[in-house]
Amino acid sequence: MSTGAQYVVASYGVVLFALLMYVVVVGLKSARLAREAELLARLVEREAELEPDAGLHPADAPPAAR
Amino acid sequence: MTDARPDRRLAATGALTAALVALAVFGVFFVAPEDADQGIIQKIFYFHVAIAMVALLAFLVAAIEGIRYLRSRDLRHDEVSTVCVGIGLAFSVLVVITGSIWAKASWGTWWVWTDPRLVTFVIVLLLYAAYFVLRSSAEGERQARYSAVYSVAAFASVPLSFYSVRVARSFVHPVVFSRGGAEMPDSMLVWFVVSQIAMVGVFLTILQLELIQRRADRALRRVKARLEAMA
Repeated sequence: MSTGAQYVVASYGVVLFALLMYVVVVGLKSARLAREAELLARLVEREAELEPDAGLHPADAPPAAR
Repeated sequence: MTDARPDRRLAATGALTAALVALAVFGVFFVAPEDADQGIIQKIFYFHVAIAMVALLAFLVAAIEGIRYLRSRDLRHDEVSTVCVGIGLAFSVLVVITGSIWAKASWGTWWVWTDPRLVTFVIVLLLYAAYFVLRSSAEGERQARYSAVYSVAAFASVPLSFYSVRVARSFVHPVVFSRGGAEMPDSMLVWFVVSQIAMVGVFLTILQLELIQRRADRALRRVKARLEAMA
């Protein structure tokens, strides 16, 4: 490969590397969001277990609770 | 129900951009002719200039969104403005790196401090880097207001960089686009246009991706705050 071609490869390589790094950063951010969403889902599920009737309309509640 | 349009827009823009980038790389390396003077080194031009133009476009959008925030006090404009400054800054760093590589190949040196284009571009880059320092120094409404004013004020440096090389023509940085049109054959110009559209696509894709991520982050914070209040 000629010296000029090496410079061209280096230049386009920098752009490609930056784009790949951005993909990694976005991936990490998405992983964090997924982790937080999972944690919140667990919290909501635990709340629902503790108060099974919470948030139910009186008409939807089981007969004993009416 | 939530709005699914941003997701669909992102998918469409991303797919189109990926296709355009692939087409641009193919065209630049396999179809566009080699420059008679610089040879293969000139291939750096297609992405280097396209990225530079998109960096300046991002700063323009940031300034417009800054003005829209100041008029409406709608935080969505502040968010778009901030994301645009971030993208513009990242693209500017890429312009400086690819430009330095081209300079080394073409002029034999990584940097020329006497060239107005190079120096003014670094000034633009540093000005916009300071935007984030300012932003982190304030909170709440003041943060958005200061950021908006700064993004508008900093944009004044962009025409300075753009026209510097046209005013001082005796320096080393070449001028390809002048009032007389593009100083290159059509067989090169067409692939530059494709590269430019592809880079605009990259900008729009990143912008949408960042806004969607921020929306998701905000929604999660809202749920977390509500759950904490209930506990």
